[in-house]
Amino acid sequence: MSAEIIVVTSGKGGVGKTTTSASLATGLAMSGKKVAVIDFDVGLRNLDLIMGCERRVVYDFVNVIQGEATIKQALIKDKRHENLYVLAASQTRDKDALTQEGVEKVLEELSKDGFDYVICDSPAGIEKGAHLAMYFADHAMVVVNPEVSSVRDSDRILGLLASKTRRAERGDGTVTQHLLLTRYNPSRVEQGEMLSVKDVEEILGINVIGVIPESENVLAASNSGVPVILDENSNAGHAYRDTVARLLGETRPMRFLDAPKKGFFQRVFGG
Amino acid sequence: MNAKMETSDACDLRFGQVGIACVRVRRLDAAALCEELERRVRSAPQLFSRAAVVLDLSHLLNLPDDGTVDALLEAVRSAGMLPVGLAYGTSATEALAQRMGLPLIAKFRAAYEPADGGSIAPPAPSAAPSAAEPAPASVPVREPVLSQPANTVGAQRHDGTLRSGQQVYARDRDLIVVGTVANAAEVIADGSIHVYGSLKGRAMAGAQGDTKARIFISDFRAELVAIAGHYRVFEQIPKDLEGQSVQCWLDGEKLLIAPLK
Repeated sequence: MSAEIIVVTSGKGGVGKTTTSASLATGLAMSGKKVAVIDFDVGLRNLDLIMGCERRVVYDFVNVIQGEATIKQALIKDKRHENLYVLAASQTRDKDALTQEGVEKVLEELSKDGFDYVICDSPAGIEKGAHLAMYFADHAMVVVNPEVSSVRDSDRILGLLASKTRRAERGDGTVTQHLLLTRYNPSRVEQGEMLSVKDVEEILGINVIGVIPESENVLAASNSGVPVILDENSNAGHAYRDTVARLLGETRPMRFLDAPKKGFFQRVFGG
Repeated sequence: MNAKMETSDACDLRFGQVGIACVRVRRLDAAALCEELERRVRSAPQLFSRAAVVLDLSHLLNLPDDGTVDALLEAVRSAGMLPVGLAYGTSATEALAQRMGLPLIAKFRAAYEPADGGSIAPPAPSAAPSAAEPAPASVPVREPVLSQPANTVGAQRHDGTLRSGQQVYARDRDLIVVGTVANAAEVIADGSIHVYGSLKGRAMAGAQGDTKARIFISDFRAELVAIAGHYRVFEQIPKDLEGQSVQCWLDGEKLLIAPLK
């Protein structure tokens, strides 16, 4: 039984890859899976901040790849879930420190150690770091915002997933592609300022696996180092829970697609 | 033609300086060594193919046994380079070189020696008493080795903030930072480290194994401090140390930290 490798990617920066990686990994761990989440953004590491383990990083991904530490030494056990581990990126190196053989070896070792899922948090762009993050993937979670430049970049990434991955090169099936729409703001969609779910699905030609509503709680969660999926009071957290459930094969209706109806007082006094 | 006619000696013996590559072994992994060197040879065959190289074992914690050294030499050969000797002159390396039937090439760049080796260079222990001995071996030395005062090497200084991801390394000496070391920035020295500012990132002193190295910090908020490989991680900064001026030192295996009084 080998680990399922999921790359979280987007092409464009700032769309919510790391937020998604953290919530996805946490959600899968909450479902009882053994999960490792790896930060591929060498030189601009953030995942450890979002996961709230930045002060526990001793060895990182690059140390493991260069043989300076074992994977066991470098994996940081999550405080909240004992079957969730973080492999932080190195802040002092650049992406050239990653090698394809090195990445492959790390993923194989995680597989041997009984991990069910490995989440690869890709850096923005389509350069080496992003390439290596997606190369070994079985699934891809393409994170897209409802705006044209993000959709264009995601289209590019979908093309690369179909050609520049190990599965594509070996003709070994395809990387399963999932589209995750984040920072979705239904009222702005209604006003025609934002692309709708339907628009994005039409342009990219694949269906979304989840829609995460824009939420203040995401920022608050990031700043406090708690993945937003753990926030019971936020729609974004619930939307991530739905997404994880769908990834695990459940059918759940899409929520939070409509603008909240304004109540009487809001109509009178303005929202 | 002339030379042949005029001299009755069978040969001339001359000292000359030739450039020679030095393979500094960091780990005892012959396969990895071979792979690494092969890559170098492939990238610059003109330069490295059949190049004479000297094997330097001084960066290993312990001198490997004969069999391992044989394997390393074979790895160099199979990568396409020609090992012609062992580098550096502790008496153990010398004995090893003798058993291997290889010459021991004295430390290169002898002119730098007194400057580097004076205080804390790792191969110093047994090299110091016999410092005069390796000099005449092969490399002509222009300056007498021990003529310079040992304490001329100053510390390396860095002024200003070290941002996240930046790294400063003071080789063979102390490091002084006048400014802040941000989160996920690193300061490393083979000697001691002084930070006149906040240390929010990491500081690693005695990087080559000097257990006497210390770390002095005027505003302690570190993620990690280490001396000679013994480290402490601070998930939470201890309340009695946070924001204090502290010093860190090694007591045996234990890394101790205390406020400066």
